[in-house]
Amino acid sequence: MLLAVLFFNLEGNILVERFHGVPAEERLHWRTFLVKLGSDNLKGAKNEELFVASHKSVYIVYSVLGDVCIYVVGKDEYDELALAEVIFVITSCVKDVCGKPPTERLFLDKYGKICLCLDEIVWKGILENTDKDRIRRLIRLKPPADI
Amino acid sequence: MAQPLVKKDDDRDEEAEYSPFTGIEKGAVLQEARVFNDPQLDPRRCSQVITKLLYLLNQGETFTKIEATEVFFAVTKLFQSRDIGLRRMVYLIIKELSPSADEVIIVTSSLMKDMNSKTDMYRANAIRVLCRITDGTLLTQIERYLKQAIVDKNPVVASAALVSGIHLLQTNPEIVKRWSNEVQEAVQSRAALVQFHALALLHQIRQNDRLAVSKLVTSLTRGTVRSPLAQCLLIRYTSQVIRESGLNTQTGDRPFYDYLEGCLRHKAEMVIFEAARAITELSGVTSRELTPAITVLQLFLSSSKPVLRFAAIRTLNKVAMTHPMAVTNCNIDMESLISDQNRSIATLAITTLLKTGNESSVDRLMKQITNFMSDIADEFKIVVVEAIRSLCLKFPLKYRTLMNFLSNILREEGGFEYKKAIVDSIVILIRDIPDAKESGLFHLCEFIEDCEFTYLSTQILHFLGNEGPKTSDPSKYIRYIYNRVILENATVRASAVSTLAKFGAMVDFLKPRIFVLLRRCLFDSDDEVRDRATLYLNMLGGGDDSVDGTDKDVKDFLFGSLDVPLVNLETSLKNYEPSEEPFDIDSVPREFKSQALAEKKAPGKKPTGLGAPPSGPTSTIDAYEKMLSSIPEFSSFGNLIKSSEPVELTEAETEYAVNVVKHIYDGHVVFQYNCTNTIPEQLLENVTVIVDASEAEEFSEVSSKLLRSLPYDSPKQTFVAFEKPAGVPAVGKFSNMLKFIVKEVDPSTGEAEEDGVEDEYQLEDLEVVAADYMLKVGVSNFRNAWESMGPDCERVDEYGLGARESLAEAVSAVVNILGMQPCEGTEVVPSNSRSHTCLLSGVFMGNVKVLVRLSFGIDGPKQVAMKLAVRSEDQTVSDIIHEIIASG
Repeated sequence: MLLAVLFFNLEGNILVERFHGVPAEERLHWRTFLVKLGSDNLKGAKNEELFVASHKSVYIVYSVLGDVCIYVVGKDEYDELALAEVIFVITSCVKDVCGKPPTERLFLDKYGKICLCLDEIVWKGILENTDKDRIRRLIRLKPPADI
Repeated sequence: MAQPLVKKDDDRDEEAEYSPFTGIEKGAVLQEARVFNDPQLDPRRCSQVITKLLYLLNQGETFTKIEATEVFFAVTKLFQSRDIGLRRMVYLIIKELSPSADEVIIVTSSLMKDMNSKTDMYRANAIRVLCRITDGTLLTQIERYLKQAIVDKNPVVASAALVSGIHLLQTNPEIVKRWSNEVQEAVQSRAALVQFHALALLHQIRQNDRLAVSKLVTSLTRGTVRSPLAQCLLIRYTSQVIRESGLNTQTGDRPFYDYLEGCLRHKAEMVIFEAARAITELSGVTSRELTPAITVLQLFLSSSKPVLRFAAIRTLNKVAMTHPMAVTNCNIDMESLISDQNRSIATLAITTLLKTGNESSVDRLMKQITNFMSDIADEFKIVVVEAIRSLCLKFPLKYRTLMNFLSNILREEGGFEYKKAIVDSIVILIRDIPDAKESGLFHLCEFIEDCEFTYLSTQILHFLGNEGPKTSDPSKYIRYIYNRVILENATVRASAVSTLAKFGAMVDFLKPRIFVLLRRCLFDSDDEVRDRATLYLNMLGGGDDSVDGTDKDVKDFLFGSLDVPLVNLETSLKNYEPSEEPFDIDSVPREFKSQALAEKKAPGKKPTGLGAPPSGPTSTIDAYEKMLSSIPEFSSFGNLIKSSEPVELTEAETEYAVNVVKHIYDGHVVFQYNCTNTIPEQLLENVTVIVDASEAEEFSEVSSKLLRSLPYDSPKQTFVAFEKPAGVPAVGKFSNMLKFIVKEVDPSTGEAEEDGVEDEYQLEDLEVVAADYMLKVGVSNFRNAWESMGPDCERVDEYGLGARESLAEAVSAVVNILGMQPCEGTEVVPSNSRSHTCLLSGVFMGNVKVLVRLSFGIDGPKQVAMKLAVRSEDQTVSDIIHEIIASG
């Protein structure tokens, strides 16, 4: 299960937060944990450099893209390798939508499109699409180019 | 060149001034959502409002029921617009709002229309939305379309239907299971993701059918799997088949091993790792099988991608737990990872090295770790400390180096958990390595000279009191202990006084000097410290009111363990009301239970993924005792000795769920039947259980307490009590019949009809066995307890347990039959071990202490033999334990 996808700005404020199968009372705990993880490790990180950690039986892969920090959390079959795949799709889509590694403002400007991308990538904890070109078409309700 | 730079700065200024969501407020956005009702829709504006709604929801904002309904109804109007961008947003916001069952109807016709649309993308999205918001009845209506969609030539449509199927399988399994032909076809799809989703769904549909899974794996491992993700799934399912099928007995080959090994050469890293992990986790894996997997993992240790390094070292770390020798080839690569920027990787590397290192490399390794420790967080340090502890137990001759390392890090900065881990490790090493005792105690003494944690100081003082007097020169510890009396807070001072007394009791030549020190404590400012000093002085014969106790009494008092759980003692003391009758410590329940009183409810409320920290153990026996003593029929039964775990008397998912808790008293047994009515349209009244005790001769029914009313989904209890010969561990079998009056309930009003019908429901049989009279009471040091019990009432015998699934399964079965407390973690059997010793302790009815030493062995065809040695305070109890095993 892909338990969560979160976007924070550099100050640790939430931009997007999508949990799947995580009870509401545990969410705050995860938010705090991830912000701390980021502030400990992401300083001076290069764009899209991947970071990885595990906490109990859960894996976390995270990265920074422009002024936005991205975290994906998973367990069982969504181990660090599967999560790396997921975060790769997410970062490529965000770059695609924004045209470059986004500033916070640019990210918020493209907020609706980014939500649509996430909707195509992860559906209730299951990875659905992995190809950014296909996703770019799907969010405009265009059929994939390769069929 | 100058131009773009200036432009960029302009951008920045603008950004700082304005964000599209500045000052966003829920109320205002809900107002804005009224544009959805405009006769002339403005798609751009509507999309913006939806984006704002999404922003609010993604920030964790929630809408009240009324707000959500209003927005949802407004959103449904947007289906009138033909704007494609807006339509895509509408699909998303409907899913986010997840309307309730009675509202869904508004939108189903629009979605059904989209689902039959010629435009593929409308179809795919409509399927996703419908499946998200649908219930069982609607699902049967659209099932036909979904089946078609699964084999649709457009992969997006097929994936949408398949992923919907994966989700719907949780709620409507019987419907989704009917799609297996279509899903089977989709597994052969040329589109990579369709194949991935289809494979996942097909496996879930068939997971309980071993043969079908085996066939699926056999056909796919020979065919082509296009997506790496699907390949990973296939590897996982293959390992499951391997686990269930075992070795090929004729050739000794492992089925599918060649396939796994082939995957090690796949071009996708994900697949390589999955295969390597599958191989390392094979049960009874040989070193020949392991080698290729370890080789590829070794290559990844020096990858430039942190995720791959992490995955490789994490896998090797696991392998090192069971096959340390197989990993030694990677030692050099792992050593270079100690300086990895990612601290998770570095810590895994260190702890793996600590497992794989040999005796000669310990010193070199410790040097590297010392540098590393200063720049990692406490939680990583704790992992390292634990690994060092295991290493020291493995190479006892190296205790000097390792003990020195522990004492050095003990002096450095660190939080409580970290310091506690170090102190615990030193204590364990002192216990297990006699040579390490003196130096270990000395390090602990140094630590308490400057320890900021009261808890740790008192723990160490307690330990010092037990171990210090037995050393060659006990006098050298006195200074450290008495310093605590001068320098520390009251809690630590009181502990120090107790420790001094222990030295006084054990070491005769120190006694006069201890008296001098204890007398000084009589003037302490704290009550507890003064009281303890007075008590010990008098007990040891150094006070004015010395009591006449034998030397043994004194030592028993000072060193004997408190044989009741502290939590139980605390509760009993709180419940005790001051009166003429003194508090009786024998009235404190001895059983330590960790299961909560909350009985199992209807299934479906599964614990969730992230695993919040488990709540601490709660004493349920007190709650049971309180409840039972409040029932007049049972209040005269005396002290509750033990309550069993709930035993299920019905299968899962039946109309009425019943489990029973057996409450054991000296001369009585009470059965507490926890009943749950799982039918919303029924109300049960006058619920009782008719118990037939014809196969339980020593028991006779004395009373029962019926349950007046049992509404839907609110568990309640009915009780039946039996008399049995006092103090005798009587056993027997009871058959049970649930009897009640059932009344129909009108689902719309929730009111029950006046008249009911009498009905019965057969439950499973229930047994009272000897283990029900056994309390799970642990001992802190099994070897000491075993030695001090002596062989007077010992009985040893050997048993054949027949063919078992594994050694671990045999051990856990025997532990469960005996109902005793496993000691020192011996209930855990390392995988692949051929023999195992398990230590158990308990207290049998009549307050008789029992210790059990179980030695297991397993041979090739999985035949398990067991030697059972029992020591107890009573020969008949030792015999009873053997009878339990002989009859079980």
